[in-house]
Amino acid sequence: MSTYRNIPTILTLLAVSLWNCTERIEVKVDSTYTRLVVEGYVTTDIAAHWVKLSTTSDYFYNKPAPEVSGASITIDDGQQVFPLAESDTLPGKYYTAPDFHGIPGRIYTLNIRNVDVDGDGVTEEYTASSVLNPINPIDSIRLRYFNAFGATGYEVQVYAWDPPRRDWYSFKVRKNGVLLTDTLSEMIVQNDDFFNGNYTYGITSQFLSNDKPDEVVKVGDIITFEINGITEDYYKYVMEAQSQIFGQTPLFSGPPANIRTNLNNGAIGYFTAYSVNYSSTVATEDVVDGGMQK
Amino acid sequence: MRPLPFLISILICWFVPQGLFPRASWDDGGRESTVAYSTEDHSTAPEEETSLRYTVSGHIEDASNGEELIGAAVIVEELGKGAVTNAYGFYSLSLTPGFYHLKFSYLGYELQSRAINLNGDLILNIELREDIKELEEVTISAEGPRTQIRKAEMSVNKLQIKTIKRIPTLLGEVDVIKAIQLLPGVQASSEGASGFSVRGGNPDQNLILLDEATVYNASHLMGFFSVFNNDAVKDVKLYKGDVPAEYGGRLSSLLDVRMKDGNLKQFSGSGGIGTLSSRLTLEGPILRDKTSFLVAGRRTYADLFLPFAKDKNVRKSDLYFYDMNLKLNHIFNEKNRLYASGYLGRDVFGSIFARMAFGNQTYSLRWNHVFSGRLFSNFTVLHSRYDYELGTAEGEANAFVWKSRMNDYSAKADLNYFITPEHTLKFGLISTFHDFSPGSARGLGDQSLFTEFKLPSSYSLENGAYLSAESSLGERWNFSYGLRFSSFHNMGPSTVYNYDGNYMAVDSTVYGRGEFYQYFGGLEPRIAVSLMLNEVSSMKASYSRTRQYIQLAQNSTAGTPLDVWFPSSPNVDPQIADQVAIGYFRNFWNDRLEASVEAYYKKINNAIDFRDHAMLLLNPHMEGELRIGEGRSGGLEFLVRKNSGRLTGWISYTWSRTERIVPEINNGDPYPAPYDKPHDLAIVLNYEVSKRIWISGNWVYSTGLPVTFPTGRFEYMGNIAPVYSSRNAYRMPDYHRLDLSVSLAGKEKPGRRWGWDLNLSAYNAYARKNAWAINFVQDENDPNVTYAEKTYLFSIVPALTFNFHF
Repeated sequence: MSTYRNIPTILTLLAVSLWNCTERIEVKVDSTYTRLVVEGYVTTDIAAHWVKLSTTSDYFYNKPAPEVSGASITIDDGQQVFPLAESDTLPGKYYTAPDFHGIPGRIYTLNIRNVDVDGDGVTEEYTASSVLNPINPIDSIRLRYFNAFGATGYEVQVYAWDPPRRDWYSFKVRKNGVLLTDTLSEMIVQNDDFFNGNYTYGITSQFLSNDKPDEVVKVGDIITFEINGITEDYYKYVMEAQSQIFGQTPLFSGPPANIRTNLNNGAIGYFTAYSVNYSSTVATEDVVDGGMQK
Repeated sequence: MRPLPFLISILICWFVPQGLFPRASWDDGGRESTVAYSTEDHSTAPEEETSLRYTVSGHIEDASNGEELIGAAVIVEELGKGAVTNAYGFYSLSLTPGFYHLKFSYLGYELQSRAINLNGDLILNIELREDIKELEEVTISAEGPRTQIRKAEMSVNKLQIKTIKRIPTLLGEVDVIKAIQLLPGVQASSEGASGFSVRGGNPDQNLILLDEATVYNASHLMGFFSVFNNDAVKDVKLYKGDVPAEYGGRLSSLLDVRMKDGNLKQFSGSGGIGTLSSRLTLEGPILRDKTSFLVAGRRTYADLFLPFAKDKNVRKSDLYFYDMNLKLNHIFNEKNRLYASGYLGRDVFGSIFARMAFGNQTYSLRWNHVFSGRLFSNFTVLHSRYDYELGTAEGEANAFVWKSRMNDYSAKADLNYFITPEHTLKFGLISTFHDFSPGSARGLGDQSLFTEFKLPSSYSLENGAYLSAESSLGERWNFSYGLRFSSFHNMGPSTVYNYDGNYMAVDSTVYGRGEFYQYFGGLEPRIAVSLMLNEVSSMKASYSRTRQYIQLAQNSTAGTPLDVWFPSSPNVDPQIADQVAIGYFRNFWNDRLEASVEAYYKKINNAIDFRDHAMLLLNPHMEGELRIGEGRSGGLEFLVRKNSGRLTGWISYTWSRTERIVPEINNGDPYPAPYDKPHDLAIVLNYEVSKRIWISGNWVYSTGLPVTFPTGRFEYMGNIAPVYSSRNAYRMPDYHRLDLSVSLAGKEKPGRRWGWDLNLSAYNAYARKNAWAINFVQDENDPNVTYAEKTYLFSIVPALTFNFHF
C-alpha cells in the first residue's frame, strides 16, 4: 500500500534509473564483535511457533549465519510459561508445542538462557517482549493485472475497514498455500497515519511479479492475502531494516544507521507478536495475463 | 513582540545619518562645474587638511548597452586612493577642492582617464568600452586589478560571466553554480548537483540571492541544473566567510547573483539551442537611455520526443523545466532609478501514475535614490516563493495530492554614505515575514482511501539592522567592520509540541493568530583588516559571526525538491557560527597572476543534525527528530588565477576537515560531517587559439565523501542486514573528472551586429565511473553472498550547443 511518503522515492528512483549504471566493486571493511541474533514470532495461528538463534559475522562471511545451539528458551504470556525445544534437524531453531497460539491483548516475553555468545565462559541471559495487537477482518481481495514500464504482474487489491484506533499492519501473499513474500524485503508494512478509520476501496497492498517464476499465476491458482496486526515498534523495525537492505541514494537516504531491536543485553534482531487474518481469491481467466490467455 | 530590536533598529537608522548628513544638500551648481578633459601631465597636488570637500559621483556603465558595472574601480591618481562601484554601479568620492586625474577601470574593459577641476559637487557618469585588444597580453592599468590586494574584504570570489560561459559543463548547460563549485572552499554536494557546501557547511547554510530575493531551491531536474540562466545574469559574487553586515540569516556563505538590467542603447538579443534546452533573451530600450527591459526564457525539450516512444505509458509522460527572467528598469533622473525584476521557474515530471512539480518565484522592486552625491540609498520590497506538489491520477484508492509551499515577504532599506575616500559607511534595515506551509496531503476523489492531512503552517518574522564601515588608515591599512543585529520572532497561529527527554511529543501549546510566542536575537560582528605589505601583496584577517534562524530538514547529501524548511522555535535554538580567517594575497607578473592563500577556522553552535532513521517528511513531530550538537571546520585554501591574455583560468586547492559532535549520534564521538572532503583540487583553463576558436578544460580531483559501511551482518527473515560501527568511518573512492570543450565563433565583420558560436563539450571526458552511491547487496542467486556495488551516474556525456547574439 503506497503512502504519501514513499511515492516521491519511487518517482525519483525511476528518474535516476533512466541513466545510472551499477558495477560490483571491492571494498575493504573492518570486523566487529559478535552479537546474538534473535528472530522469533508469536501469532494467533495455531502452530508450532519458532525462535531462531544465530550470531553476527563479518560482512563478507558469505556462509549461512552461525547458529546458536543448546539454549534454554521460554515464552511467557503473563499467565503461563511455554518452553521451546531445539529442533534435531535444524540447529539454532527452537519450537513450541504444535498447539501453541497467541491471544490478542496479551504481552509475550521471550527468555533466552544458557548461551555464551561473547565466549568468556560465562553464560548470558537475554529477554524481549511484545504485545499482541488485534486485527480487523478483510471483506474481500481482488487481483488486477498490470503491464507498465516493461514489468508485468498482479496487484493484490484489498477491501476492508481500518478501525478507528491506531494500527500497524504487515501484508503477505500466498499462492496455493505457499508463502511467496517469505523475506523481509518482500513483506510490506504500513501504518494508518493517513487513512485512520477509512474504508480501503481496493487499495493495492501486495504485488506478484511475473519476473519471479514462483509468482507467475495460472488460472485456478488460489491467491491468499495475509494481513497482520503488528506493533508500532515492530513496524519501525521493519521500516528501518528495509531502508538498510534496499539501495541507498544520495537523493533520499539519510546516513546508514543500525536497525533497532527489542532485545536487551546487546543482542540484535526482533521478537514480535502479531495477529493474523486471511482472505483468498481464485485466479480466473479474465484476470490472468489481463484476460489475454484463453 | 519584543519592542527592543525594533527600537534599536530605528535608532541606528535615524541617529547615525543625522549626525553625518552633509550640510550642502544637492546643488544644481555642481553639475555645471568645470570638467576639463585635460591630458595635461601634472598639476599641483591638492591641499590636504581642509574640511571643505566636494563630491564627484556617478554611475559607471558599459558603453555598449548601458549596463551598470559592479565593482568597477575609480582611482584618484594624485592620492593613490579610490573607490569601487556598488551593486548599482554607483561610486562616490568626496575630495578637497582641486585638480585631479581620475582613472576608471574594469576587468576586460578599456581604461578611461578624466581630469577634473573639483570646485563644486560633480556628477560624472562614465561609459567603459569592452577591451577588444584583449587577445594580446596587455597589462591592465596598475591600480585596477589591485583592488583585491587593497581591500579588507577576504574569502570572496567573483566570477566574470564570460568566464562562466567558457567552463565546460554537463550537457553544455552553462551554469553559475557549477562554476563556483570549482573555487577553493566550495564543493558540489554530490555528483552533478547544484547544491554546494562552503567550507564544510550544509547547502542550506548558503544564502542565495537573485536581485536581492532569496532563492530557496536553486536547482532543476533533481539538482543537475541550476535555476540561473546565464544569459540573464550580470554579476556573480560568492562570500565564503566574511559576509558583509548587510546580509544575514545563513551561516556559511552568500551567493549574490545580479540580473542584467536590459540594454538601454539598442534592441538586442541572445540565445542558444543546446542538447538539453533552448533559450532566448531579448532586451532593449523602451525609452533610450531611460527605460529598458529584459525578458529571458529557457526550456528543456526532452519531452517533445516522448510522443515518438513505443510504450504508451512513456508517451503520456512529462519531463521538462523552464525559467523566465523579467526585468524592467527606469532612470527617472540622476537621483532616482527604479528596477523591477522577476524570476519564475518550474520543473514538471510526471507519468500516468504520478506527477511532481516544483519551482521558485522571486520578485523584487528596488528604488535607488541619491540623496546627495555622498548618500546613496536603495529601498527594496521582495517576495520569494518555493512550492512543490506531487500526486497521482484521480479514480484509484491511493489517489492523492500533496502540496507544500513557502513564501517570504521582505522590505529593506540600504544606505551608503561616502564620507571621504578613506571612509564609507553603510547602514540599513531588513524585515522578512516567513510563511511556511511544510505540507498538506489529501485523497483525490470519492474512491480515495486517504484522509486530509495537514501540517500546521509556521509564521515568523526575521529582522536585521546593520551598521558597517570601510576605512583606510594611512597608505597600508584598510579596515572593514560592521555590526549586525538580527532578531527572530515566531508568530501564531501555531501549535507547538512539547517534547520529553526522549524526544517524544508529550503535549502541545496552541498560540492564537498574530501572537508572538518566541523571540531570539543577537549581535553579529563582522570585522576584516588588510595590511598592504607592498604594492603587490597584502595580509588580511577577518572574524565574523553569523546566525541562522531557518533551516532545511534534510539528512541526505544530495537533497531533493521536497524541501521542508523549519524555523527556530521554542524547541530549536538558532544556529550560530563564528569564523576566523587569515590570508596572504599577492599579484605576480605585472598583475597578470593573482594568488592567495587563506586559512580559516569555523565553529558552529547549536548545529543541527537528525536522529538515526529520521522521518522528515509530513511528520508533525519533526522537531523531535532533531539532535543538536557542535560543528567545526578548518582549512587552507590556495588560489592562483590568471584573468587576462590568451590563456586564462585558475588552479584552486583546498585542504580542510569538518566534523560534528552530537551527544546522541555516534555515541557522542566526533564524526566527519557529511561534506568533509580533505583534498579538493580544481584546474580551470581556457585558451584562445584565435579570435574565433577557443578550447576549455577543467579537471577536478577530491577525496571521496565520508560514508558509513557495515562491519558485520546478520540474518533476519531471509535477508542479510548490516551491522555498522561508527558513522562516516569510511570514504567513497576518490573523485576525479575531466571536462573539455571547443568552441568556434562566426567571423566578425565590421557593421554586422549579429554573431554566433558553436560549442562542443564532453563532460567526464575520460569516462571515469565516479561512485555516486555504494550499496551492499545480497546476491540473488546465492543468498549467503553479499557484495558491494557502486552506482555511477555518468559516463562521457557529449553535448553540442549553438549560441547566437544580435
